[in-house]
Amino acid sequence: MPALYILIPVAIALVGFAIWLFFWAVDSGQYDDLDGPAHSILFDDEDPKHKAAVTQVQQQDAEKEPQVPPRA
Amino acid sequence: MTNPTPCYHCGLPAPSGGRFQIQVLGATREMCCPGCQAVAEAIISGGLEHYYTHRSESAANPQSLPQALPDELALYDRSDVQQPFVEHDGELSETCLLIEGISCAACGWLIEKHLRGIPGVSEAHLNLSNHRLQVRWADSQLPLSSLIKALRKIGYAAHPWQADAAAEQLQRENRRAMRELGVAGMLWMQVMMATMATWPEFNIDLSPELDKILRWVSLFLTTPIVFYCCGQFFRGALRDLRTRHLTMDVSVSLAIGGAYIAGIWSTISGQGELYFDAVGMFALFLLAGRYLERRARERTAAATAQLVNLLPASCLRLDAQGQSQRILLSELHVGDQVLVPPGALLPADGRIVQGQSSVDESLLTGEYLPLARNPGDAVTAGTLNVDGPLTVEVQALGDATRLSAIVRLLERAQNDKPRLAVLADQVAQWFLLIVLVVAALVGLVWWQLDPSRAFWIVLALLVATCPCALALATPTALTAATGSLHKLGMLLTRGHVLEGLNQIDTLVLDKTGTLTEGRLTLSAIHPLRELDADSCLALAAALENRSEHPIARAFGQAPEAAEQVDSHPGLGLQGRVGERLLRIGQADFVCVLSAHAVPAITGEHGQWLLLGDEHGPLAWFVLDDRLRDDAPQLIAMAKTKGWQIMLLSGDSSPMVAEVARQLGIDDARGGLTPDAKLTELKRLHSQGRRVLMLGDGVNDVPVLAAADISVAMGSATDLAKTSADAVLLSNRLSSLVQALHMAQRTRRVIIENLAWASLYNGLVLPFAAIGWITPIWAALGMSVSSLLVVLNALRLTRP
Repeated sequence: MPALYILIPVAIALVGFAIWLFFWAVDSGQYDDLDGPAHSILFDDEDPKHKAAVTQVQQQDAEKEPQVPPRA
Repeated sequence: MTNPTPCYHCGLPAPSGGRFQIQVLGATREMCCPGCQAVAEAIISGGLEHYYTHRSESAANPQSLPQALPDELALYDRSDVQQPFVEHDGELSETCLLIEGISCAACGWLIEKHLRGIPGVSEAHLNLSNHRLQVRWADSQLPLSSLIKALRKIGYAAHPWQADAAAEQLQRENRRAMRELGVAGMLWMQVMMATMATWPEFNIDLSPELDKILRWVSLFLTTPIVFYCCGQFFRGALRDLRTRHLTMDVSVSLAIGGAYIAGIWSTISGQGELYFDAVGMFALFLLAGRYLERRARERTAAATAQLVNLLPASCLRLDAQGQSQRILLSELHVGDQVLVPPGALLPADGRIVQGQSSVDESLLTGEYLPLARNPGDAVTAGTLNVDGPLTVEVQALGDATRLSAIVRLLERAQNDKPRLAVLADQVAQWFLLIVLVVAALVGLVWWQLDPSRAFWIVLALLVATCPCALALATPTALTAATGSLHKLGMLLTRGHVLEGLNQIDTLVLDKTGTLTEGRLTLSAIHPLRELDADSCLALAAALENRSEHPIARAFGQAPEAAEQVDSHPGLGLQGRVGERLLRIGQADFVCVLSAHAVPAITGEHGQWLLLGDEHGPLAWFVLDDRLRDDAPQLIAMAKTKGWQIMLLSGDSSPMVAEVARQLGIDDARGGLTPDAKLTELKRLHSQGRRVLMLGDGVNDVPVLAAADISVAMGSATDLAKTSADAVLLSNRLSSLVQALHMAQRTRRVIIENLAWASLYNGLVLPFAAIGWITPIWAALGMSVSSLLVVLNALRLTRP
């Protein structure tokens, strides 16, 4: 039973911390989109074709590098 | 006719003969138009072919997206234009773009992957709920206009987006609702642990000091639930009491407030039972119900109703030398001359200085055919220039335009919107009265028998009959039904629609764009010589496919291509198909080619176009605005329900009477101004009628805002969609018929839920009155009855 005298304040402190963490998460916009993340995890990010295409674009870009594009 | 293959990209019918084909995922796929083909090619060359395996919906047709002119996009690279919506942070810039054309979750994947693959883009995140894209990129490597073009290439339109006051408030409210829900959930679990330990059922070896400590801990943890999370119930109750209504909020506040105050008393005195866990559970259930209901409505509404683009963002101003320069609309002044190319919206009210054209005013007035306009005629901002380029002298801008006058009418009309009675509040009123009377009686009786127990028994009675299930009955049913309706293509943006649909007794309809398709379609072909209708159509389509004119789309995709096509604004097109020199358009213009007399027109309705070659006229094409296929179904349903049906149109042509005759509507009026439509609606309201309004144009907007329930078509103007209570995304009137069935089912489920909740409360009342109810039974009863209500509501998610 004496353990409760310590555990109760610990529990309250933990809840306080959890609420603070939750507020921070809500304020930083993590709960603004509740649909996207559920789907995005299912998509394949490591498609070799896409990686090849990205590398290709980057190479093309590297070749063009000397001419600095005009600033808008 | 054979069933056409759907376009692999957008799902629209593709022309036979495989004119637009592309290899996707190892098979040859048919496309409907060069636009879809180009988008699919861009997606595949980016290595993002897997979009087609991931997606669950067809993509949007690129032609259905708003046009973006290259020089208009270039305006976005000007730093003074960027200033309000782009933030600079060293090398990187950050902005928020609103994306149009998103149809499913795979679109988000495609956009993010595509942008991240572009050099210069450091971060791209799409919010699928509100279709906003947050992007960080190096401005020096990649101008904003190229970013927007890159999105356009894979089939999405992007607009710079700036949070307005309403959007910011919505976000604040959403986050606050989320926080309240989270706090209630987390604290309730703690409160439950502390409170339950003090209950006689679990209290085995609790020392008196610990009992006291646990009571104080529960009080400490419950206080934020009551004051932070339940604020909205108390505020609602106060508001309703001021207007002398007993609503659900009053009932809820009484239960929460009562249990909390009794808990304080019990904590201080150290005796009696604690009901803090009931407070927490009640708060959590209710907040969750309301949060879900709110999200079901807003998630989808946010995406459709953010852009109110009635006017173009930029226009072409002519300087003294007659050179045109693209400027922002805000830089335009009265007295300036602007050049309006065919296919563009007029940026301001003005007078035509030069040029001849026809102007499509259908969205503003309901006239379904473009009207001819000559130098000296007045033109209105927001209407569409159809035929030829016009030079217009600006006479009124911004707030002074006719368009703004309609918008102001809208604001006035919104205040006139009547409030429909909510079933749950009516039940809550009786419920509250009965519970209060019974509690008073029970209290009095126990006061005579055993004064020491009277208070606790009355309290147990109030908590046990706490209207948790009653309060959940409506929000859960509405949430489930809103979700199902969204799948059917109907989007509810206001909460009262489903319940209100059952109280409607009058249906007011607009004609152009609502009962009819709102665009010209080919209604008849009258061949005049040896060629049959199909070959004439093929020739006409070959010519028209080279034209950007809105009429051209009516002819569909041509199997062969025309050459040397010249456009003669206001007159027609000339071109060569094979050996044949052809003209299509105005009869006089076509007959000049062959020096034949103009053949007689044999009908009245619609727009008649002549096709002819060097040897004479070939065929008449009749273009008309066609009735929607499911319009008769809607009218038939309205009639079986015994509704009064009215057709109020801005169109002054005989088409109004014709449509009314075809559909069997007795009461049809044409040539009405927006003001006159609103007056008509007020007359119906003064007769005590409950009006359902269905419309699409800017001229319908005031009526949509003032009607008891208003529904806008998915193809409607942005302003109409934002002022309506629901949007038919599918553009099918049959969705509205389904919505009415869903409304009936929802009403039945709400009634069942309310009946069950009342029954439960009625059953528990006698047990509470004789003092058998302890906190554990109250908690059990509350959760089981709430669960049953939720499960019953879930039946609505099944079609």
